[in-house]
Amino acid sequence: MTEAGILLKLRSVSKNYGATAILHEIDLDVHDGEFITILGPSGSGKTTILRLIGGFTQPSGGQILLDGGDIAAMPINRRPFNTVFQDYALFPHLTVEANVGYGLAVRGTPRAETAKRVADALELVQLGPLGKRFPAQLSGGQRQRVALARAIICRPRLILLDEPLAALDVELRRHMQTFLKSIQTEIRTTFLFVTHDQEEAIAMADRICVMSAGRIEQIGSPHEVYYRPGTEFVAKFFGENNLVPGTLGPVDGATRAIDTAIGRLVCAVDGQPQIAALPAGGPALAVFRPEAVGIGNGAGEGNRIAARIEQVAFGGASTMVNAAALDQPQQVLKARLQSRPDGTALSQGETVAFTVPTSACRLVPA
Amino acid sequence: MSESIAPAGPNRLTPWLASFAAFVVPFGFVLAPMALFLVYSFFSVDHGSIVFSPTLSNYIRFFTDPVFLPIFWRTCLLCFTVALLCVLFAFPVAYFLTTLRGRSRYMLLVLLLVPLLMSYVIKIYAVRSILGGNGMLNRALLATGLIDKPSMLFVFNLNAVLLTLTVLLIPFAVLPIFLSLERIPKALRHASADLGATNAQTFWRVTVPLSLPGTLSAMSFVFVLAIGDFLTPQMVGGQSGFTFGRIIYSQFGTAFNWPFGAALSVILAAVVILAIRLGGRVESSRGRIQ
Repeated sequence: MTEAGILLKLRSVSKNYGATAILHEIDLDVHDGEFITILGPSGSGKTTILRLIGGFTQPSGGQILLDGGDIAAMPINRRPFNTVFQDYALFPHLTVEANVGYGLAVRGTPRAETAKRVADALELVQLGPLGKRFPAQLSGGQRQRVALARAIICRPRLILLDEPLAALDVELRRHMQTFLKSIQTEIRTTFLFVTHDQEEAIAMADRICVMSAGRIEQIGSPHEVYYRPGTEFVAKFFGENNLVPGTLGPVDGATRAIDTAIGRLVCAVDGQPQIAALPAGGPALAVFRPEAVGIGNGAGEGNRIAARIEQVAFGGASTMVNAAALDQPQQVLKARLQSRPDGTALSQGETVAFTVPTSACRLVPA
Repeated sequence: MSESIAPAGPNRLTPWLASFAAFVVPFGFVLAPMALFLVYSFFSVDHGSIVFSPTLSNYIRFFTDPVFLPIFWRTCLLCFTVALLCVLFAFPVAYFLTTLRGRSRYMLLVLLLVPLLMSYVIKIYAVRSILGGNGMLNRALLATGLIDKPSMLFVFNLNAVLLTLTVLLIPFAVLPIFLSLERIPKALRHASADLGATNAQTFWRVTVPLSLPGTLSAMSFVFVLAIGDFLTPQMVGGQSGFTFGRIIYSQFGTAFNWPFGAALSVILAAVVILAIRLGGRVESSRGRIQ
């Protein structure tokens, strides 16, 4: 039953509160040693998945398998997982040391060993000298580290992190992202990280599971979900994107054409058999990132779209160009160009050619 | 800047009136009488009339007369025991309340507090009829065959005072404990279980320590109410159930020695303030719930 490399399997897991379905038949594999992020807007069911795995709530249907065995009946305190809670949930009446050592103390670990492991864990999260303090005497970032040390110390098979960085300010959050990732690499424990922040997910995860309305939209590497979205939701979820509706043409090797109001676009379908399998003549969307778009009259590979520039917005490192397609003025097209010190030669009202390489153009079902 | 925000006209006086009321009412009706007691405690009585010249004789009498100190300590011990018993009984009740959800939780809480609306004297009578030589408790014990003649262990003595005070003051202990239990975030119990603790371990390592501020303020609350009570010992204490409160009462009543009664009241007030401070101290040093 056990598959090599798979720690945890969710099979058709669903969760209802009364008549309201929070999760619809979720299938998810958690690989041993990976950093997997569950990403979704609030209400997408991402925290519910974490709570189901942690044992804080029971699934309404389906199975959660650890090493092939169902853990539905396993109580919270017997599951080999530890959680970093959203508001840390540190014990306010215990010192940092006692908080970190809690998991060992309740298991009756000898004092000397507990002291050593607490010291090691505090060292790992760079809180060595603060062991005697109380949680109320720590900053947000420090509390975060205590919560992490407390979860790590029991050497769990899986660490569940419930939006642990949400309460921190932007700069500290960036720092903690790098820090968390480096800790994960160091201790090689599987991390399941829940967040609503796309950048955070992309920065940290080995794999991202994108969720919406209780369903998994796509599971893949950050690169995959960013450049090869599987659904319209995913295509719209990660920053700005170009989406052009149209009718699917036939598959031609690794490419597939789509007929749109702004002309025929040729998109890549390699590595996306489910897209290649969509019926010809059906509706779909062509998707391409603004940064993949080139502007100019030079001979470019791939698709060319004539467009009139509506707005040029300087944004520091990059300049955003908004344009309307000539064939279909309602179709907004965006291009993100690298800014140059001498400024851009583009001006409003100018007609230019947008070039989109075939490899950068993808399809999603409409 | 504040000019433009503050309402014009007589409304401006409202905050002043409010502060006036907030400070003057407690001062006029609480602190001033207490100060008066303090002053009176330094006077003396000669042939039934008060001598208005300062003396320490009342305090000297209290500390040297062999009657008062033993009763004082006995009363303190009695009230401490009452406080302890109340907390021991109230804790499971309060804990049970926190396990209830929604309406049933507050319905039960209100039911628990209903006795507070009843007249204190009536409640004492009710308990007295249970405890008496021919009372319900004795008859029940006889009926079960545990004893073969009515027990006098809890009839008109200090035990009766102890039992009556405990029964009457339990509601006062439930509320602070319930509130402190309710304030413990659920996430802390989850975190405890998540880290491998059994329910019992979570209870002893998380729930009990975090409810300690409420439990101790409940204790000091009950202690203060019990030590100031003279009615209960009067009605169920009989000859042997003599308490400090009854002595003070007798000084103002039968003995007509107001200055000595005032001195005893000052000593009682000191004990009460100490008890409240002790309860509050733990609250401020341990109540570190974020």
